[in-house]
Amino acid sequence: MATPHTVLILPGWQSSGPGHWQAHWATLPGTVWVEQDDWQRPRRGDWLARLDEVVIDTPGPLRLAAHSLGCLLVAAWARHSRHTARVQAALLVAPGDAEDPVLRERLPGWAPIERQRLPFASRLVASRNDPFCRWPRAEQLARDWGAELIDLGEAGHINADSGLGDWPQGQAWLHTL
Amino acid sequence: MAKIFCIANQKGGVGKTTTTVNLAAALARIGQRVLLVDLDPQGNATMGSGIDKRSMALSVYDVLLESAGVAEAALPAGDAGYQVLGANRELAGAEVELVDLPHRDQRLRQALTAVEGSYDFVLIDCPPSLSMLTLNGLCAAHGVIVPMQCEYFALEGLTDLVNTIRQVHANLNKELKIIALLRVMFDPRVTLQQQVSEQLKAHFGSKVFDTVIPRNVRLAEAPSYGLPGVVFDAGAKGSQAYVEFARELVRRLPEL
Repeated sequence: MATPHTVLILPGWQSSGPGHWQAHWATLPGTVWVEQDDWQRPRRGDWLARLDEVVIDTPGPLRLAAHSLGCLLVAAWARHSRHTARVQAALLVAPGDAEDPVLRERLPGWAPIERQRLPFASRLVASRNDPFCRWPRAEQLARDWGAELIDLGEAGHINADSGLGDWPQGQAWLHTL
Repeated sequence: MAKIFCIANQKGGVGKTTTTVNLAAALARIGQRVLLVDLDPQGNATMGSGIDKRSMALSVYDVLLESAGVAEAALPAGDAGYQVLGANRELAGAEVELVDLPHRDQRLRQALTAVEGSYDFVLIDCPPSLSMLTLNGLCAAHGVIVPMQCEYFALEGLTDLVNTIRQVHANLNKELKIIALLRVMFDPRVTLQQQVSEQLKAHFGSKVFDTVIPRNVRLAEAPSYGLPGVVFDAGAKGSQAYVEFARELVRRLPEL
């Protein structure tokens, strides 16, 4: 059966390399990798405009699969874009806490994090030992965005190091939203 | 008080950015205090002024979103003697973000109010498409300078621009008008160019400035060195023409 929607893959800062669940997902049919112009120096406006372009250019209903800074991108984009009705749902995995003093310095422009409730269904998957987002912060972001919070236990930053492969459980969480 | 001019043409590739950068450098050369505002996400005027668009901490994007002031974000254009409110791809985001913000088309105008005593001229390089960014430029400006190649299809782009300016004048900015048509990349040996040039003068009269910018390879080479042609090779015919245009602009200010 054909997939009725397209999944947009939204990597975070420095992109997601081989071994990352997002790289696995990008090989599946019905997915579009949102390629940013500059992965090393992520400028909010640049990333936001690119996501808007891809949403406009991709036909049919969309679902978003975001990791780390990609989650903050979803929140910022949803706050401003006129095309949010195209999105059915979003899976937000290990959001990067750009309000943390260390990250704030390295990612200027991303703090404060947009906290408005997302206009589509969402799940936020967080880990108890994520070096880029403490658990209580993930809880707060899930509350602000209106996302269902899923506790992945001690899974680090839920990236290539977490060894999730193509992460079928994550796919199920996205597709059952 | 600064005179604020947009450099605009809805046809691409007409020497718009070359004109903005070289007019800024030429005005600075004759002693004017100049701010160049790059409103094009391609950032060509920024790079052409010797500023690395990728490493700017603040840009016109931050000014439009009111997270920085003009004085804070402006950078010196090397030794060219003017200042630049730069742009890079981040500015494309402003198109998305400004849509639901208040005074979305007046952001630049409001921001420039704070520095209008610091400059004699503010030159705004507008993108060729009609967008929220272009509207911000047109709403902030006292007038529009239109660089034109004297070719047949150039007149079509001009018609679109004139209509846009009429609409902005009617609805958003009563001060806005075309103040100068500048003939650029001019080759007097081409008969068609002479004919179009005569048509322009017949139709627009004194708005067509006397100065003509010749086609000049040194002007084309300069951006790859991150310099305005006026700085890269001050003796080149194109550079001298821009300085002459700057003098003509200053001289004619009272009548504009």
